Amino acid sequence: MKNMAENRIEEPGMLTHRDIKSACLFILPLITLIFLFILVPVIGTFINSLFQDVSFLDKKFIFLKNYQQLFSDPGFRQALKFTMLFILVSVPLEIVLGTIFALLMNADVPLRGLLRACVLIPWAIPAAISARTWELIYNYSYGLANFIFTRLGITSEPVNWLGTSIGAFGAVVAADVWKTTPFVAIIVLAGLQSIPEEIINQAKVDRANLLQIFFKVTVPLIKPVIIVALLFRTIDGLRVFDVIYVLTGGGPGGETTSISHYAYKYFLSGDFGYGSAVSVVLFVVAFSLSVIYVKVGRFETGQI
Amino acid sequence: MAYLIGKERIVTYLFILLLTVCLTAFCGCNKEPAKDITFAVGGAPAELDFWQELIAEFETKTGIKVDLLRQPTDTDLRRRGLVTSLRSKKTNPDVFLMDVAWLAQFAASNWLEPVDSYLQSSQLDSEVFFQKVLNLADEYDGRLVALPVYVDGGVLYYRKDLFEGFNIKEPPELWLDFVKQAIMVQEESRKTNPDFYGFLWQGAQYEGLVCNWLEFTGSRGGGIVLEGRDIKINTEENSYATQFMYDLIHRFKISPPNTYTEMREEEVRTSFQQGNALFERNWPYAWALHQAQGSPVKGKVGIAALPRFADGESTSTLGGWHIGISKYSDSKQKSFEFVEFVLSYDTQKKLALTLGWNPGRTDVYTDAEVIEKLPHFVSLKTVFENLRPRPNLPYYTLLSEVIQRYISSALSGKLSVKEALSEAEEEAKKVIEKYGRKQD
Repeated sequence: MKNMAENRIEEPGMLTHRDIKSACLFILPLITLIFLFILVPVIGTFINSLFQDVSFLDKKFIFLKNYQQLFSDPGFRQALKFTMLFILVSVPLEIVLGTIFALLMNADVPLRGLLRACVLIPWAIPAAISARTWELIYNYSYGLANFIFTRLGITSEPVNWLGTSIGAFGAVVAADVWKTTPFVAIIVLAGLQSIPEEIINQAKVDRANLLQIFFKVTVPLIKPVIIVALLFRTIDGLRVFDVIYVLTGGGPGGETTSISHYAYKYFLSGDFGYGSAVSVVLFVVAFSLSVIYVKVGRFETGQI
Repeated sequence: MAYLIGKERIVTYLFILLLTVCLTAFCGCNKEPAKDITFAVGGAPAELDFWQELIAEFETKTGIKVDLLRQPTDTDLRRRGLVTSLRSKKTNPDVFLMDVAWLAQFAASNWLEPVDSYLQSSQLDSEVFFQKVLNLADEYDGRLVALPVYVDGGVLYYRKDLFEGFNIKEPPELWLDFVKQAIMVQEESRKTNPDFYGFLWQGAQYEGLVCNWLEFTGSRGGGIVLEGRDIKINTEENSYATQFMYDLIHRFKISPPNTYTEMREEEVRTSFQQGNALFERNWPYAWALHQAQGSPVKGKVGIAALPRFADGESTSTLGGWHIGISKYSDSKQKSFEFVEFVLSYDTQKKLALTLGWNPGRTDVYTDAEVIEKLPHFVSLKTVFENLRPRPNLPYYTLLSEVIQRYISSALSGKLSVKEALSEAEEEAKKVIEKYGRKQD
């Protein structure tokens, strides 16, 4: 028995022809799926973006002209600016709130199961429905926000929440944060639960206070998990569509139009080439951000 | 040996996987419906149920089997569904309803089968339709590409009971009187109802804003001026009318502050129906709902043409739904028989009586039974004579998007009216440069 085990340990360094073959067979389905459902659409969209592909005009190859127009298009620049600002504000908020919720859910509080279920509710509601709910909260004439504010005497007149750039921006961010914080909380909670209790106990023995334990022990240990959450939220935030479509329709004055909303408008009106170019830019931004995150993430895990 | 079995297993699993993928991918092909034509239409559940009834009637009459493709209520979603199947040249749906604003795009994309030749060999006479609508909307490059099922136009609703209470004889013809009356009634009514406003209209950033804007500017003699590849938006008339829209909200304060954020058809309709306004700009569909059982304004509503400025004409933006046949349909003749059925006097009358739709045929408006049930049809017919279409351009949606964005900026006060209009014109020019066909 002992001998056999030793023999096996020696083997892995040398991959036989057979091993490589079976490894390829194992990976094949995955490669096929990635190729079919990810690479083909991405390449197709990219090729499309090099054409004048308008349903009512002749299709012709125009190389990078769509991109050229894109960068001098004030509407696109506004959408890009809004989307960047949106992830810069909403993602950090989601991470901080999500971590706080995760810590609460991880603590030994009474009714922990109920608490966990409650925190998850916003994540379980379809985005279009939660956006509709927020629309009812912000509504000028019968919205909950105005009801509370006027009742408490904070404002004498109802506020038109979605009427100013800042108001509409804040409203969209609040709706998105409310909806996706549970997602962050669940991921961080998984990270928290993987921390061995001995380490925390050791820190306690060393007389570290709660804050020290959190910042010196917990945070470094859940950093990889937080980076995963950041990655997911950033990419999701870049593609934000449903909340905006329902809540503001991109208004007022195009102030809250996101990149995907902008691309959608072109697909709807029949300009598939330009819409594809917008999508490709969105893809490039999302992809480069993911690469950065993955690099940072690996670097950090290497350190631990 | 054990290794070999493992490998065989992998191959077996792979084979099973492949088989399942193929099966799920192709089993859809076998379920080809045994129907002759597919009709795509969207709307509220009650509307779709009524279409199903009409289809049953058509099937017993002609023996042609029709598959009803139920689309959502939302206009944009309906359009996206059609664009997707037409772009991929699918044979289904064969026949469908289109919003008047898409007609030019669909026609210019060569997605619609011209109906002139079918009309000639049929019983249907094109004279029965609103000629203005046919000429302005259904004709593209000199050929009829669609026919009007449902004609729509912006109208003014007013509260008859409040008119009597304040001794106002007739609905105002000029915006000047309109504003005076609205301010007067609003001031008094606020004492009992703090949510009361003089005038509700559609000002959110969406297609409805352009419809409203065209009515305001039209009533001052303005609008979008298209000459060849040149476009004028920043004109004296448009600037005056747009400033008036801004003033309704911010200066006279007879329209609520959320006009430019939330006010779409249904928000306007429900608020007016709750008794919170003196005037309402809306489409004719609101009439039946205002008069329905349990409506607080039942029997208190009047309908009139929208007011005008002293040097303009009352204007109503043309809306509505048109029926057309797909270029890629595999049974065009049968599809046209269905079109003929939908546009027949009897069906149009039924659509009017059951759904309150305003027929594209003029002769239904004089039908005694229709007038008895829908007395407002008499005023509608006159309103529809002032109908004004949105620019009949294939790239209209993109133009509209620009206008929406800048008018919304002006209404929110982010840009001055002058700035907004000049920037809108600038961007509209770029749209035309990009999408307008080069003139040979």
